[in-house]
Amino acid sequence: MQLTPDATKGALRAALGAMTAALFLATGASAQDTPASSKPADINDDTSTDTSLTRVDSAVLFYQEAGGRVQATEPVVSVTMNDDSGNSINVKLTADTLTGATPNGAAPWTGTQTFITPVKTAGVQTTTTSASGNKVLVTVPGTNIKAAQYTADPNTLPVDHGFRDQRYAVDLNYSVAVDNVSRFTIGGNLSTEHDYSSLSGNFGVSRDLNDRNTTISAAVSVEMDTSKPYFGTPEPMTAMSGATKGGNRTKTVVDAVFGVSQVVNRYWLAQLDYNIDQVSGYQTDPYRIISVVSGTTGAPVRYLYESRPTSRLRQSLYFGNKIALGPTVADASMRVYHDSWGINSLTLDVAERVPVTRWMYVEPHLRYYSQTKANFFHDYLVSGQALPAFASSDSRLGKFTATTVGLKVGVHMGPGELYARAESYDQKGTSHPAGAPGALAQENLFSGVKATSVVLGYSFGFW
Amino acid sequence: MTALQTVDGGFVYGFSAMGSPCEVRIECEAPETALAAGEVVEAEARRIERKFSRYRGDSVVSAINARAGELHPLDPETAALIDYAAQCHALSGGRFDITSGVLRRAWRFDGSDRVPDAVSVAALMDTVGWHKVEWRRPVLRLRRGMEIDLGGLGKEYAVDAALGRAMAVTASPLLVNFGGDLRVSGPRSGGEPWRVAIEAVNEGGGSEGTIEIRSGAITTSGDARRFLLKNGQRFSHILDPRTGWPVPHPPRSVTVAAPTCIEAGFLSTLAMLHGDGAEAFLEREHITAWWLR
Repeated sequence: MQLTPDATKGALRAALGAMTAALFLATGASAQDTPASSKPADINDDTSTDTSLTRVDSAVLFYQEAGGRVQATEPVVSVTMNDDSGNSINVKLTADTLTGATPNGAAPWTGTQTFITPVKTAGVQTTTTSASGNKVLVTVPGTNIKAAQYTADPNTLPVDHGFRDQRYAVDLNYSVAVDNVSRFTIGGNLSTEHDYSSLSGNFGVSRDLNDRNTTISAAVSVEMDTSKPYFGTPEPMTAMSGATKGGNRTKTVVDAVFGVSQVVNRYWLAQLDYNIDQVSGYQTDPYRIISVVSGTTGAPVRYLYESRPTSRLRQSLYFGNKIALGPTVADASMRVYHDSWGINSLTLDVAERVPVTRWMYVEPHLRYYSQTKANFFHDYLVSGQALPAFASSDSRLGKFTATTVGLKVGVHMGPGELYARAESYDQKGTSHPAGAPGALAQENLFSGVKATSVVLGYSFGFW
Repeated sequence: MTALQTVDGGFVYGFSAMGSPCEVRIECEAPETALAAGEVVEAEARRIERKFSRYRGDSVVSAINARAGELHPLDPETAALIDYAAQCHALSGGRFDITSGVLRRAWRFDGSDRVPDAVSVAALMDTVGWHKVEWRRPVLRLRRGMEIDLGGLGKEYAVDAALGRAMAVTASPLLVNFGGDLRVSGPRSGGEPWRVAIEAVNEGGGSEGTIEIRSGAITTSGDARRFLLKNGQRFSHILDPRTGWPVPHPPRSVTVAAPTCIEAGFLSTLAMLHGDGAEAFLEREHITAWWLR
């Protein structure tokens, strides 16, 4: 190493810091046997500070929806470096692989249904044949348009099997202590998939008051997303077809959050957040259709691409609590949400961390969620009636309740903590809405999911 | 000789090693925890002393010095420390030098007026200077007559290493202090800072004030009781390895705060080596320091 003394102000200290880190890395005297200041021998003691600590959290998420629907594998690595003046930098890398089938939006029917989509490269003999091989290449009669066709069996929820995506995301956040009681944070996020990309930036400030028992914070972020569907963007409320579609679409999200956290007493920390954001631009799912059915028999007449409003104002209020109950720590929170699409929701969440031994804890987790439907949600549209401007059959916009039951187990291992979390998620909605015409009354129109997820992670720190 | 004493808020485990009184302060309730932490600290201190002390014939440093002139392959820990010392030499512009110990043959700082003559100092200078050492990690070769002494880094390195060992044993707040070179694991229970008294440099003792730290390390380098006095001129025991002569007018003591003890130790020593320019050096490099003139 070539080092020039007295070159710039403080350069000596910086060079020395790097040298020292290398020394302890090489000798292992400090780094390897030291389980970080923050998660040492007693796994249930997390009262130490992160001053000068570098924390690494790596985890893999496995997610699977029942019925052969979406499967995802998501490795995540997050590194947070703290210096001794209270500044910190966090880098998080995420890679997702999603495969499986997604509901295409059509209602199930008593007979086989056939759907047509454009092929990836128009006019060329390639198609997105899925592993199950149930897509076939066809030439649209009377034209030379090449398209792909797939079918849905009678009385089953129509799904598109061609679903496969990979997502890569980078998150970067920098937090700076301005003085003893104030800090600001600045960050950004970039995420890309084959057919979607997202770029965002955020800025926040916080200040401790009242002898550090109260912290107030405010943050704003701006996000720009681009939707780049494989076959172009379809015109909303037009018939599903094999013809290639229009260009990319964008949306922007402007978000603000204001929060107060308060140390109520030695055992209770409370947090109140108000969040408001405005989404403008393309929010329709370009792959999703909605069935137009006969008002008498309920049979599908045609399929239209769905349509959603281009503006959405969302607001939520969050109240969270961390409470020490003897040796255990309870997390209890509630969120109420309202948006301009007509969705109101309530979330209740409880988790309790229970130390079992000095080196192990368990944390059961329970969540309840309930929402009302968006005002343009329809399970199907009826032929012959005037077409609404907006319509979607996406179950996430419908009325449903969901429960999550989970358990996390953490053990102290080596210099850090090894943890596993398993969760089961179950959505319940209206399977048989009143007034479904004809045989549609017998079909299960709710397309919500049951899913299980498992996370395996290892978290450790060193200085 | 070891002892575990109860103090307000926890325990102090004391022992003697590396020629200094050593202590570990542990803020916990269980004496077994304090004892366990104290014992790993003592074990690490003794391991490092055994390995690196030049006063012990069986140490790695003694073996290196005994075989000056020969190629000497080093174990990874020693190699890492030698690398560190080499970088300190470069970083200090040659002021910090682990080969300078040879000068002690001419300079005996006993408060007397026995200042060596220029010829004997010049003769020794043939065997002083890191740039005369062949170092291709992990192989070291000293010139015949040269010696290395890790005393300028060893005790501080031991504090860092021992604290690391102790933190693997307990999550409780810790302070490791080997003869005034100290480091803490973090704040005390309840987020309180540790209070460290700066020892007075004059005979008669007392304290020159206290420092509060929540993290990192503190070391003090001083010129307290070791000097020569001739014709009214005070010769400090801080020798400049570039000349072989004491640096002019170093502060009586420099106390430095840094993230690790080895960094603090190097910086406080280097400040002393700047002599009358010590304060300017500390300010220029934005080093958190307290000094006494």
